[in-house]
Amino acid sequence: MKKTLIALTLGTATAALAAPAFADYPTRPIQMLIPYGPGGATDLSARALSTALTPIVPQPVVVSNRAGAGGATGSVAVRDADPDGYTLLFARVGSHTVNPAMNPNLPYTIDEFRFVGIYEINPVACVVNSNSGITTIDELIAKVNDNPGTVLFSSAGVGTLPHFGALMVLDAYGVTDLADNVIHIPTEGDGQALTAVLQGTSDFYCGSTSPAAPFVQSGQMVPLLVTSSERVEGFDAPTVDELGKPELKALVGWTGIAGPAGMPDEVSDRWGEWMAEAVQDETFLNFMTSGGSVVELMSPEDSVTFVNDAYEVFRRLVVELDLEID
Amino acid sequence: MTFMEALAAGFTLVAQWESIAFLALGVTIGVIAGAIPGMSATMAVALTLPFTFALQPIFGILLLLGVYKGGIFGGSIPAILIKTPGTPASSATALDGYPMAEQGRAGEALSMSLYASCIADLMSNLALILFAAWLASFALNFGPPEMFTLIVFSLTIIAGVSGDSLVKGIIAATLGLLLATIGLDFIGGTERFTFGSVDMRGGLNFVAVLIGLFALPEIIAYIRNPEAKEHRVRGMGYSRLKWPDFRRSLKSIFRGSAIGVFLGAIPGIGAAPSAFLSYSEARRASPNRENFGKGEIEGVAAAEAGNNGVAGATLIPLLSLGIPGDVITAIIIGAFMVHNLTPGPLLFVNNADIVYALFIGLIASSFLLLIVGAVAIRAFRYIADIPSDLLFPGVLVLCIFGVFAINNSIFDVAVMLVMGGVGYIMLLLRFPAAPFLIAFILGPMLENSFRQALLMSRGSLEIFVRGPITILFWCLTILSVVMIIRATVRAARLKREAARSATRVSATPKA
Repeated sequence: MKKTLIALTLGTATAALAAPAFADYPTRPIQMLIPYGPGGATDLSARALSTALTPIVPQPVVVSNRAGAGGATGSVAVRDADPDGYTLLFARVGSHTVNPAMNPNLPYTIDEFRFVGIYEINPVACVVNSNSGITTIDELIAKVNDNPGTVLFSSAGVGTLPHFGALMVLDAYGVTDLADNVIHIPTEGDGQALTAVLQGTSDFYCGSTSPAAPFVQSGQMVPLLVTSSERVEGFDAPTVDELGKPELKALVGWTGIAGPAGMPDEVSDRWGEWMAEAVQDETFLNFMTSGGSVVELMSPEDSVTFVNDAYEVFRRLVVELDLEID
Repeated sequence: MTFMEALAAGFTLVAQWESIAFLALGVTIGVIAGAIPGMSATMAVALTLPFTFALQPIFGILLLLGVYKGGIFGGSIPAILIKTPGTPASSATALDGYPMAEQGRAGEALSMSLYASCIADLMSNLALILFAAWLASFALNFGPPEMFTLIVFSLTIIAGVSGDSLVKGIIAATLGLLLATIGLDFIGGTERFTFGSVDMRGGLNFVAVLIGLFALPEIIAYIRNPEAKEHRVRGMGYSRLKWPDFRRSLKSIFRGSAIGVFLGAIPGIGAAPSAFLSYSEARRASPNRENFGKGEIEGVAAAEAGNNGVAGATLIPLLSLGIPGDVITAIIIGAFMVHNLTPGPLLFVNNADIVYALFIGLIASSFLLLIVGAVAIRAFRYIADIPSDLLFPGVLVLCIFGVFAINNSIFDVAVMLVMGGVGYIMLLLRFPAAPFLIAFILGPMLENSFRQALLMSRGSLEIFVRGPITILFWCLTILSVVMIIRATVRAARLKREAARSATRVSATPKA
């Protein structure tokens, strides 16, 4: 008797929740997970955006960290959540393009997510220590070719953007047998990877411009190229267009918001509107651009295409160059 | 701008009531956040950052630095009162702080912790101001091989915190090292001991392991045998720190501050190794060696000095090279960048006034910490008076909530509960928890730096003796191993002699 009663109550409750569909979404607070720890680039970017979203979204936006395994723990938590738009993820280039492309053992795929908006693009720059005597990308390539198996590059860890980025750039410049010709030194984040370049532990780093900006501005490091179409302020380096390698423009970092794959169109549309408003926020813009990021909002549809395209490019290279993590 | 002009300009920036107000606000936020298990200084700084965007640069940065400093001290409050350290660094404080609280000397332990923190903080800030350039070049010479030798040396601490049996300490440490290998392999990206679980891929959370290991066994022991604690006089957190106790701890405080300054200046080490190194050095130098781990006030002083000595020094690589030494300074970089200030060598040229204002603000923060901390102790020490049958259930709830809050993960709570069981078994078998924890913290650093160094050298072991720093740490390691062996042999001989004279005594009446 008691059980039936509970079942009935639960049934009615579920029906009641499901009935009004998503017309009046959201009716309760929205939880947004950051798949990386506090203080990282994703965390700061996510918190800046959520501050800008607060006056726009009719319900509270609750941001929390769910770090671990290079973004996999948080990503899986959101994938397994109800696709009702109340649990969303701050997805990043590492968790949703590089790692899925390089790591076949990852417990999720990008098809299991629905993107509602990419809002931040980080061009990639390759930098070397200014004491190295290297000032152009050709000199770096020559050094790699002349000393096979001795040049080192640092990254923020296996399957991160700087890991893939360095290999992609070398490949574009015709360096073959990447596994033997260069040595990858993983570290625990962009800060440590750049510290390694500053110490001479590593010879170069190809990652987002934002963490490298202070070192370039102070003259401790020399930028060799940037992967944007236009020059990046503060980086006195040629673009990949100028260098005749436009294919490297696919090598950019990004941050966006995604939910589980089955999320309805209504939710996606609402987020498209909210994001369009939030990225106009002056404090948000100021914070993002001061860090060297480009605020560029994509519509939900464009975001999906963008992530899929980037994944395809990366995945093709990974297969071609045999870069899979096993 | 000459030095004096910059100093004067800096002074004008700080000498506004808002500067001091924001600094005090920051310290207060930090102490409260640090005192709540599950909140940490890192989290508090990350949450405060967005509020600084609208402030003037100097106010914003001072606010964040205040949170940072307050948070590091705040962690010692629950470590002492309820043996629930919120960060690995304050677990060294719990080693002697909690036994003191059990003896009804919570007030004394908290005051000592505060004074040691403030002195170490001041020393660290002075080191930043006076030796930044020199220490920064030291930090730049500290690559993976140097890091590896430092961690090897740090592992000799285990002997100092093993308690009665060195063998048991080494076994506990080995278990800690093993447990640290769970998760993704750092260099290859492959899974280790994850058993196909997504949660295990990320490894075991530090704080979950350490709360499980420290706080839960106390609670389980109480549940199994409530009478044991009721007869003991707890509570009465009103005991005052005595001057002779403070004076004899001063040496350890200064030593701990110096250790903190050196380790803090090296990026990527953090406060925990410093706190433990300072603790074990204090124990080795102290005539009261036997009393360490049983409520020795000098142990609290040394741990807190090592812990807080790091706080000013982490700003050395940040300000002079632009390198974030830890997660907190990485967040503080964000606060600089948003105001178009670039941390690094140029800051001293372009924004000398800000730099000197920061220096003055930092010195002021040490004194503010003394005031805010004293108020906090007054408020928190009543926890020591709560009867056990209310306190322990409360602590259990706080532990579960706190561990959940770190990552919003039930898995972490499960890890904590399992570690609580492990910790209780270790308690029953008289295995010390501290070596386990130290190995668990140092394990990943040991492995990563070893493998990074071998990658650099393409497999040649010569890299581990590549310069004076590595050789220095090898010598220190050998020295401490020799001393540990000598001490162990001496202890064994004393025991044997005691046993022999005992048999002689018992044999005499027979004859």
